[in-house]
Amino acid sequence: MCQGRSHRNSIYCILPPYILDSIVRNAAPRERTYALQTSGTDTTFRTMRVNHDLLSAVERRLPTAVPAGQPQRTIYDTHNTTRLPGDVVRTEETGSTSDPAVDEAYDGLGDTYNLYWHVYQRNSIDDQGLPLDATVHFDQNYDNAFWNGERMVFGDGDGVYFNRFTIPVDVIGHELTHGVIGDEAKLVYLNQPGALNESIADVFGSLVKQFAAQQTAEQADWLIGVGLFTERVQGVALRSMKDPGTAYDDPVLGKDPQPGTMQDYNQMLADNGGVHINSGIPNHAFALAAIQIGGYAWEKAGRIWYETLLDPRLRPTASFQAFAHLTVANADQLYGQSSLERKAVRDAWREVGVLVS
Amino acid sequence: MQVQFHMEGGIAYFPGLNKPGTIDSDQLPEQEADELKRLVNAAHFFALPAVVGSPAPGAADYRQYTITIEDAGKQHTVHVTDPIEDPNLQALVTNLKTRRPATS
Repeated sequence: MCQGRSHRNSIYCILPPYILDSIVRNAAPRERTYALQTSGTDTTFRTMRVNHDLLSAVERRLPTAVPAGQPQRTIYDTHNTTRLPGDVVRTEETGSTSDPAVDEAYDGLGDTYNLYWHVYQRNSIDDQGLPLDATVHFDQNYDNAFWNGERMVFGDGDGVYFNRFTIPVDVIGHELTHGVIGDEAKLVYLNQPGALNESIADVFGSLVKQFAAQQTAEQADWLIGVGLFTERVQGVALRSMKDPGTAYDDPVLGKDPQPGTMQDYNQMLADNGGVHINSGIPNHAFALAAIQIGGYAWEKAGRIWYETLLDPRLRPTASFQAFAHLTVANADQLYGQSSLERKAVRDAWREVGVLVS
Repeated sequence: MQVQFHMEGGIAYFPGLNKPGTIDSDQLPEQEADELKRLVNAAHFFALPAVVGSPAPGAADYRQYTITIEDAGKQHTVHVTDPIEDPNLQALVTNLKTRRPATS
């Protein structure tokens, strides 16, 4: 086996263990000692071989030139065109600009990095210090912000109904969290796993805002996207996690369609199966759990949701039920079976109509 | 020429904005109708594949547009995902967005 490989690796070239075992059992004392020593080394190599893939994964995580704990932000400007990525307008080495969209994107990426690093010890999107790239001034009058799989992209808004999309820091945290989800659970962007993907982006987007303002769960407004609407719009934000369906009711935009419980779950084809609509249900569960637990939401409820996001049992096609079950399992593991935290999480899911045993 | 335009997706779902709209070039001022026809031709709309661009793995909150055009007995439908690489198709989408009653 070691001769047949184009890449000759010593860890693949060892006597089979049963031969060594046979020598240990049958040979004279001196040979027996040698065989025992070899057998010990052999076990080590065999373990290494089994772990070869894991080892290469560990190598990927070796320190890079930039120390962990420091974001590597680059802000680009497409100057109201759609030609991504655009020109570099701010880096870690340059100072603030006179352009609020550039500086808000830069600061918002910093706030998001800080939550993940200081609270969850996660070094950027991939936990390996991935540089954070954002583009501002995308397109003309563009009413959206999105994650294209590599970067955050922000429009200026039309100025009539929407202001620029870099204003709310939770929207920036939301977009970057889509990157984290893509690196971890890879929740499919459709139906319930898609709504979970959206909800987790809202949860950590909101926690970015709460952490930056040092607000407790009680003090937080639990709104997503405050400041995005112009004064013309009858509404306060894109979504309310605490009270889904109440963020806006406007003659042009319509009424906030988010349900807060499974009873009002929307079966629909549009919006990838209602990913921005049904996300109201898990959003509501998180807000209820965090308020019930009390204190800073990022400390306990946020930790439970973060550990669930990293849980290998969380499948890309997870349902609300499966996700809820894992949040309770993680609360159990972190705080104990009879803990207030576990009870709060279970009760919150029950209140929104997702029953966990 | 009849153009149906439907914009979907984005960071939030607004019921008031997720309605398809129809544009009839005969109802437009001549200059606007000419401009629209020019953009449709420049984009080689009837030669475009049914799907232009698809979301990258992990992408989220992206906008998608469905455009159906009927002209001189021909009909064609194209689904487009942001960001749009073809500048001519982008110009057509930008024009159609500005015709929507509400926002872009």
